[in-house]
Amino acid sequence: MALLDVSALQVQYGRVTALSGVDLRVGEGEVVTVLGANGAGKSTLLRAILGAVPVRAGGITFDGVDLTRQPPHARIKAGVVLVPEGRRILISLSVEENLLLGAHMRTDSRAIRAEIDAIYQRFPNLGERRHMLASCLSGGEQQMLAIGRAMLAKPRLMMLDEPSLGLSPLFVSKLFDLIRELNRGGLSVLLVEQNTGKALGVAHHATVLELGRVVMAGDPKALAADPRLQEAYLGEGTPAHH
Amino acid sequence: MLSQQIINGLMLGAIYMLVAVAFTLAIGVLNFLNFSLPGLFMLGGMLAFGFLKLGWPFFLAAGGALFVAALVSLLVERLAYRRMREGDAEVPLVSSLGFLVLLENLVLIRYGSDQQAFPALFADMNVRVGGLVIGIAQMVSLAISLGLVAWLSWFLRATNAGRRIRTVAENRETALLMGINIERLVPQLFVGSALLAALAGLLFAVNYQQVSPFMGEGIGFKAVAAMIIGGMGSIWGAVIGGLLIGLAEVLSISLIGADVVNITVYGLLLVILIVRPQGLIGRPPAREKL
Ligand SMILES: Nc1ncnc2c1ncn2[C@@H]1O[C@H](COP(=O)(O)OP(=O)(O)O)[C@@H](O)[C@H]1O
Ligand SMILES: [Mg+2]
Repeated sequence: MALLDVSALQVQYGRVTALSGVDLRVGEGEVVTVLGANGAGKSTLLRAILGAVPVRAGGITFDGVDLTRQPPHARIKAGVVLVPEGRRILISLSVEENLLLGAHMRTDSRAIRAEIDAIYQRFPNLGERRHMLASCLSGGEQQMLAIGRAMLAKPRLMMLDEPSLGLSPLFVSKLFDLIRELNRGGLSVLLVEQNTGKALGVAHHATVLELGRVVMAGDPKALAADPRLQEAYLGEGTPAHH
Repeated sequence: MLSQQIINGLMLGAIYMLVAVAFTLAIGVLNFLNFSLPGLFMLGGMLAFGFLKLGWPFFLAAGGALFVAALVSLLVERLAYRRMREGDAEVPLVSSLGFLVLLENLVLIRYGSDQQAFPALFADMNVRVGGLVIGIAQMVSLAISLGLVAWLSWFLRATNAGRRIRTVAENRETALLMGINIERLVPQLFVGSALLAALAGLLFAVNYQQVSPFMGEGIGFKAVAAMIIGGMGSIWGAVIGGLLIGLAEVLSISLIGADVVNITVYGLLLVILIVRPQGLIGRPPAREKL
């Protein structure tokens, strides 16, 4: 049984249909990537899995538990966490307060302290600036902070929404190293990316969305070689039939 | 006698401060100028008065008044604030003003429109420090208000609940994505700000030994002025603004005369707004909150 099981998911914003029947599975310990052009519905999919947008039809099961009607805080408690598009660092909080915010539902303060110190060890720049407002960090450091904050929720599944957007090449490779490292530690990952090559390189499974539908899904190596991927990504291909 | 006036000014300022902090919580976190707060201030004083008249012991009367104010605030949340999410931003502002008028008139029907004498709790108990006369009630009230605000500031800075509140203040959407239960947090904030306002009303009654159905109005305006002088959305701004207005008021009464009080207070507001539009310790928008 998959850790995350999304079936026939439909989401609408008013009269705009953002997702029309999306199926997706993430197995325990897997990295799954979701690709697609702007407006394909990738962010909507992640937000629906977190519970931040209402689902019109379909279901979301996590570790065998139906989460479809649960609020975000219940899903995060269950082990699903989102590193949102644009990072959404709290600029009126210090670096350390941003990390503590990630752990706001936990009570094991000793373990939280140890995890924060481990993050500072891994990213010394964050440690040096722990008491400064998070707005003083560079974009790449903010992305590491956002991932650290998400880790402090003790997730089993981490969803990342275009984490490499706007990062320097150096930070992009740091980011993918970190994703690999977290995954080796047992974390399951659902990764939305514009950086197709890097994403297919790290993923065990890939899904391509177009206008709210799954148009391709399968082995990332096979997808990387498929010319239809390029078409879907540029948003000019006619929807392929499954 | 100047130092005596400064003590008296700080006492009055501490009351403005509590109400200003209540307004600051509502504006800073919920983006809601909650005009029912002066009504809750009045309930703190008037209901304690009413319960005392029923023969209740002081602490029961005080607790009862705070409890009712908290319940009324939850009603304001349900009936005025929640509507904002669906409609115009002006609707909750006007309906919270409606709550103020409603509360004033309900209390008026029960107790009449006259000013009433609130019983003295610590009759003639004073501490003399080098020529200064400090009433026990005054000292206890000052200690309670300053201690409470200091605790609130610590709470917002150093606890999970405080960080949740500051996150909602900065960005509600991000707060949702972080798993903050906003549906539960908002009523809690309404209760918190109601308790601050009602406690201020209670302290006012104890110190000045008078209550009336309309006691909240003047205080409410000055508390909003205090919040603006200090810098909107900042707790310490509300503290400084409140104490400053209390001082300005008492000093101008004793040095110039009672007629000029409003000119001094609102003149101060105008001058500060002209010189420093963001308030004394206000920061540029979207920076540190609370
Ligand atoms: N809050 C919203 N209100 C209305 N329409 C939205 C909203 N968010 C996204 N959409 C629409 O839903 C579709 C999918 O958007 P999104 O999930 O952001 O796509 P992606 O992340 O793949 O770029 C787009 O057509 C977009 O315009
Ligand atoms: Mg997106």
